[in-house]
Amino acid sequence: MTKAGEVGLRYLPTSLRAAIVASSFWVLSLSMTVLSGSVAGVLGCMIASYLMDSGLRRSPLQLLRTPTLIAAILGICLIGLLLASFVTGTSLLASAFSPIVAFNTGEAVKWFVFSAAVTAILRTLAQRTSFGAVLEIVFVATAFVITLSAHRNGMIHRPFFIGDFALVRGIDPSAILMAVGCGAVLTLAALLITENNQRRLPYHFALIGILCFSLLIYVRMFGLPTPQLTDDLGLTGAEQMGGGAQRDNPFRDGENDASDKEAPVAVVVFRDDYEPIDGSYYFRESAYSEFRGTMLDFTSRADMDQDLIESIGAGRTETEQMPLALDQRTPVRMTIGMLVPHRNPFGLETPIAYENVPNPNNLRFKRTYDAYSLAPTYDFNYMLGRETGRADWSDEVRQKYLEVPDDPRYKELAESLITDLRPQYADDAFAKAWTVKTYLDENGIYSLKNQHAYADDPAASFLFGDLTGYCMHFAFAATYLYRSLGIPARVGVGYSVPASNRAGGSALLIQAIHGHAWPEIYFRDIGWVIVDPAPQQTLVDMTTDPQNDLQQMLGDMLRDNASFEDFLDSQQTSFIELQTVLNILYLIVGLTLLVGYGTKVYRLWLPAYARTENQYRASYRAALDKLSAIGVHRRPGESREAFARRASTVSPTLTEMTALHLQSALGATKAANDASAQWRRLQQRVDTEIHASTQFGKRLLALINPFSWMLTR
Amino acid sequence: MTSESTAEFAALELESTTVTDSGGALRQAADVLHKLIQSVKQQVLGRDDVIELAIIALIADGHVLLEDFPGSGKTTLAKALGEAIVGEGGNADPAIVPFRRIQFTPDLLPSDVTGVPVFDSNSNEFHFRHGPLFAHVVLADEINRTSPKVQSAMLEAMGEKQVTVDNVTYPLDELFFVIATQNPLDLVGTYPLPTPQLDRFLFKITMAHIDREAELDVLATYKERRDRSHGKITVSRDEVIAARQTIDSEVVISPAVKTALVDISRNLREDDRVLQGNSTRSMVLLLPALQVAAVLRGRNYVSAEDIELLLPRVLGHRIELAPGVSDLKRVLLDNMRGPMEQLARGTLI
Repeated sequence: MTKAGEVGLRYLPTSLRAAIVASSFWVLSLSMTVLSGSVAGVLGCMIASYLMDSGLRRSPLQLLRTPTLIAAILGICLIGLLLASFVTGTSLLASAFSPIVAFNTGEAVKWFVFSAAVTAILRTLAQRTSFGAVLEIVFVATAFVITLSAHRNGMIHRPFFIGDFALVRGIDPSAILMAVGCGAVLTLAALLITENNQRRLPYHFALIGILCFSLLIYVRMFGLPTPQLTDDLGLTGAEQMGGGAQRDNPFRDGENDASDKEAPVAVVVFRDDYEPIDGSYYFRESAYSEFRGTMLDFTSRADMDQDLIESIGAGRTETEQMPLALDQRTPVRMTIGMLVPHRNPFGLETPIAYENVPNPNNLRFKRTYDAYSLAPTYDFNYMLGRETGRADWSDEVRQKYLEVPDDPRYKELAESLITDLRPQYADDAFAKAWTVKTYLDENGIYSLKNQHAYADDPAASFLFGDLTGYCMHFAFAATYLYRSLGIPARVGVGYSVPASNRAGGSALLIQAIHGHAWPEIYFRDIGWVIVDPAPQQTLVDMTTDPQNDLQQMLGDMLRDNASFEDFLDSQQTSFIELQTVLNILYLIVGLTLLVGYGTKVYRLWLPAYARTENQYRASYRAALDKLSAIGVHRRPGESREAFARRASTVSPTLTEMTALHLQSALGATKAANDASAQWRRLQQRVDTEIHASTQFGKRLLALINPFSWMLTR
Repeated sequence: MTSESTAEFAALELESTTVTDSGGALRQAADVLHKLIQSVKQQVLGRDDVIELAIIALIADGHVLLEDFPGSGKTTLAKALGEAIVGEGGNADPAIVPFRRIQFTPDLLPSDVTGVPVFDSNSNEFHFRHGPLFAHVVLADEINRTSPKVQSAMLEAMGEKQVTVDNVTYPLDELFFVIATQNPLDLVGTYPLPTPQLDRFLFKITMAHIDREAELDVLATYKERRDRSHGKITVSRDEVIAARQTIDSEVVISPAVKTALVDISRNLREDDRVLQGNSTRSMVLLLPALQVAAVLRGRNYVSAEDIELLLPRVLGHRIELAPGVSDLKRVLLDNMRGPMEQLARGTLI
C-alpha cells in the first residue's frame, strides 16, 4: 500500500461504510424518534465516519491512545446529550417557536450526538483493534434485528413503504427487512476485505456466518416475536390462562401507559351500509353481568346473557336470544379478521350470528369470520317511556341484573341525582339513566392513571372519590347506579371505534386503544341498549393517527377472498412464489456446499489413489489446497517458486515439493519408481509443518471452509 | 555470496540425485558456471546480478550491452571474465587472446577492430595481423561513440563470429563474447545504436550504483585484488564450450514455456503502448539463455523464474514504446502476467 493510501481517506469504502452504518441508525431511529431525530442520526453518522476515517491517522487523533480517545468521545457525547435535554428542558425554544420545535430540535441534537459518538467509537475500534470491525458488523446486524422485532410488534411494519409493498404482494415484510439487513452486513463485510489485515478476514467471515446462521435458525425454530398487546380489558386471549374465569380484578390492567395503543387488533369489513347513531361503532364481545361478592363478573348462569355468543361452531352459530324491536334495527353483515387472538368473537352491536369464513391470509389473520348484527337505528327518544327488563326473564334473573355491592352510597347518590328530574319523567327508566350518565359526563375525569385499582370496590372508590378513572370505572359506576335505580344493567365489553376512523371506506381498523367497556340497559321490546357515559374532561390523549393505508390494505386483504386472490395473483405475476424461491435458494446453497466439500475431499484424497506418474500433480495440488485453506495461496502472476519461497515461513518443505513438481511438469524426466513414496513423505512433512505453524482455530476454519480449494492456483 | 552459490550447488545435487541420468555432464557444466562466477566475483564486488547475467550471456552465445557510468567496474568485469577462461587445449588458436578492450572513438576505422593484412617483405606476402576482436572476451567501450561504419563491422563480427577483410573471411573464436558499454547520460557527439543493431545484443543491462557496503568493501580490498596473482579460479576454454553444448542438449524447455514466450511476444505486439514489439529472433536468442539460467539455479528444465529473470533484460532494448509511455517495466509486467499465470496453472493440469 502506498503512503498516500495509508494516510489519506479513500472515499468509496468510507462512503459505503458510512451509508451502511447510517442506514442502520436510520432503521434503529425509526421506531424510537421523530423524523428530525432520524435525519440527524444519519447525518451524525456520516460526518463522524468521514472525520474519523480522515483524522484517525493524522496528528491529533493519532497521538491519542485508544482508551483516551474513546473516553473523549464519550465525554463529548455526554455534553451533547446534556445540551439536548437542555433544549427540551428550558422554555426558551418552546416559547420562541413552539413546543414541537423544541422537541424536534432536542431529538435532533440527541440523535446526532448519539450516532456520531457510536460511529466514532466503532470506527476507532475497527481501525485499531482486531475485534472492532466485527463490532461494527454486529452493530449493523443488531440494529436491523431490533427494528425487525419492533416492527413485528403490533404489525405496524414501519417503514410503511416497505411494509405496504410487501403486504400487498403477500410477502412477510420481515423477509424484506431481513434481506436489507443481510445485504448491509455483507457489504460491510466485503469492505473489510478492501481495508483490513487479510489475516483477520477468516475470523470475521466465520463470525458473520455464525451470526446470520444462528439468526436464521432462531427464526426458523421459534419464529419472530409475537405482538404483546396491552390488554386492558381482557379482550384478547392473552390473559385466558384461568380457563375462562375472570381475572381477580379487571381494573388492574388499567395501569398501562398506552405505549402501544396504536397496535391493530382486528379489521372489520362492512358488507352493508350502516352509520352509528351516536358517532361510535360498538363491538360487543362479552359482558360483566353477574355480581359476585365484590364486583361484576362474566355470568355462569345459563339463563343470563343469553344474547352473547361465546364461540363459533361449525357453520352458522346463532344467538339464543334475538333482540327485539326489529323495525328499529338494520341487519348488517360484516367480515372480521382478528389480528390477535381474542377470547370470544365480537360483532357490531347487536351481533346475532357468527360464521367462520376461509382465512384469506394465514400470515396476517388469526381468525376470520362473518358477523351478522342487528344494528340499532333508533335514537334515544325511542327509549323514553319503555319498561325495562325482558318479559320472559324470571324474577331471579331480573334480580341478578339488579344486584349491586352492599354499599348504600350507590342508592343514595342515584336517588339524589334523579330528584331534579321533571315530574313527567320521574318514573321513566331511560330518563333516570340519562341523568346518571349526564352526571358522570359532567363530573367524571377520564384518566388512565388512577388510585382505584386496589380498592375493595374500585367503582366506589372512583365514584365517591375523585371521579377520575377510565372506561371500566365509568362503566361499573354507571351500571351500579342504574341498578340502584331498579334498571337492569350490565357492563358490556368490546371495542368502541369513532365513526370518523372509517374515513369513507368499508373497512374499519380496530386498534388496541379502542378496547372499551360501557354500561348497557335492557329495555323491554328493544334489547340491550348502550347508555355510555362520555366524560367531558380527559387527562390523556387517546386519539390515534388515522392509519388509513393500513386500514384499507387490511380491509382489501380481508374483503373478498376470490377477488383478493386475483389481486394478489395480478401482483405476483412478476414475482415467483417466495417459498419456491427460497426452496430453490436452499437447493442451490446445498448443492454448492456439496460440490465444494466433494471437490475438497476428492482433491485431498486423490494422491492416495493416483498413479505414480500423476503423483506430481495430485500430491502437489493436495499440498497447495491445504495451504490455501489456511490462507496461504499463490497470487495471480506469481511464479510457483516465488510462492514457495513466500510460503516457506509456513511450510519450508514446499520449496522442495515445488522443485520436484516443476521437474516433472516442465522437465522431461520420467517419474522415478519411488515417486509415490517420496511424495507421501513430502506430504507428511507439509502436514506437520502446517500443524506446527498454524493456530488451532485457523486449522478448524480450514477444515470447515468448503471452498478453500478454489484459492489454489 | 559464496554461501549462496554453495546452496545452489546443494540444490543441484539434490536435483541430480533424484532426477537425471545425464546429471553428471550437467553437473560438470554447472560447476563450470559457478567457477566462472566465483572467479569474477573475486575481482568485482557488489555486482552479482550483472556477473550472473554476463556469464549467462557468455554461455548462451550472446553479447551484453551495459549502460553504466564510467568507473563502475565494467572493464574489471570484462577483464576478470576474460582471465577466468584460459586458452589451454590442443585446438587453441595462438592468435586468440583471453581479453581485449577497444575504446571506441569517432575516428576509429573498421580495420582498427578487425585487423589488417600487412605486407611481409621477407616472404613477399600479405599476412593478416589480427585485430582486437580475436579474443575470448572483448570489451567494446562506449560503442556509441564510433561511426556507424565501425559499428557495423563490429556487429557483423558479433552476429557471424567472423570478420571479412579484403574479401577474406577470418573466423573468430567460438567463445567470442562482447561486452559493449555506453554512457547513458553523456550523449553529445554520439551515434546511438539503432534498434536493429541493438537486437544483436542478448541483454542490455542498465546498472545501478553498487550499495554502500559493497562500495566500502571495494575500497577495503582493492589492493589485495590488484596484487592477486595466484589462487585465481580458472576454467579452460574447452570446458566452457563443453558446458555450452551440454546445457544446450540437456536442459529441457517444455512446450508450455515456449507457449508462454510466444504469447508474451504477441501480447506485446498488440499492446497499444508498444510501438514496435520484439522480434522472433529475440525469442530464439532467449532460449539458450533460459537454459543457462536454469542450470545456474540447479535445474535441468526451464521454469517461470528464468523467464521472469531474463525477459526484461532481453526485451528492454528491443521494444519501442509509444510516445508518452515511459514505464517499460509496467508494460512488460502487464503483458507477462497472463501467459505466466497460464504457465503456472498449466503444471497442475
